[in-house]
Amino acid sequence: MKQKEFIATVIPFKDKLYRLAKRILVSNDEAEDAVQEVYLKLWKGKKKLKDYRNPEAFAMTMTKNYCLDRLKSKQASNLKIVHNNFQNTDNVERQVEANDGVSMVFKIMETLPEQQRIILQLRDVEQFEFSEIAEMLESNETAVRVSLSRARKTVREELIKKYNYGIS
Amino acid sequence: MELAKIEALLDAYFEGNTSLEEETTLRAYFNSEGVAPHLEAYRSIFVGFETAKAEVSERDLKLPTNASKSNRAWWYSIAASLVIAISVGGYIFNQPSLSQEEKDALAAFQQSKEAMLLLSSNFNKGTEQLTFINEITETKNKILK
Repeated sequence: MKQKEFIATVIPFKDKLYRLAKRILVSNDEAEDAVQEVYLKLWKGKKKLKDYRNPEAFAMTMTKNYCLDRLKSKQASNLKIVHNNFQNTDNVERQVEANDGVSMVFKIMETLPEQQRIILQLRDVEQFEFSEIAEMLESNETAVRVSLSRARKTVREELIKKYNYGIS
Repeated sequence: MELAKIEALLDAYFEGNTSLEEETTLRAYFNSEGVAPHLEAYRSIFVGFETAKAEVSERDLKLPTNASKSNRAWWYSIAASLVIAISVGGYIFNQPSLSQEEKDALAAFQQSKEAMLLLSSNFNKGTEQLTFINEITETKNKILK
């Protein structure tokens, strides 16, 4: 596979990989590094990439695994993850209004267990089918559904808690 | 969109039982104006997801150009084998090819060399006898001091 062909195959889902990495690692820089690293790995294994019927799912799995590893080694070495606040919200007025709520949602998402966070990201942000998510996470659809429901409910409860607190 | 339908979808959503289309409906509803007041709390969830999707990676992809490196290695091996082939070929083809005249000269040289050797060995036959004389002289010297 030539570089041009490789890039044509992998570039379309670069942002998705980045967003997934960011959901797991939180920091922008870390996420960019992770994406870079995953692409390096993909490039080295580019001969294999052709054989996978879904390169996107394969890349997502790689990103997830890489980020979880990073997270683990970070926790082991006691490094603190740099927290970056969400910035891209000010382009639409309606979103500015909801900005507080939105950043609240992101804060809540950060407190979710990693697996739930990943599933929420893949389903509600990237809108993948359950079958695709199950493939990416090497899991099954039922387990994905259950985790997703749990994640959504946690977000709802936390949000309502904060919302009521804000009102009263 | 009827409110009742949205509420039903919302319930199914939290149970993880909505399809992608239904979730798109929900997202569209909550990202539009006129969300029912009692559902206002949910708005930030769907607006949040929509916002999250707008994020993009800003760093350009850097790939190592090891494709050209491996090409270069190819060229090195080709060049090396060319050098070997040329030197081996040169060695084989530069073996002296003798003309008839030269061959005759070589044969004559060989013959004269043999003749010389014969002559010299016969010469040495004469000197071999001299050792006896030496022996006699030594013994004589021992007796007649």
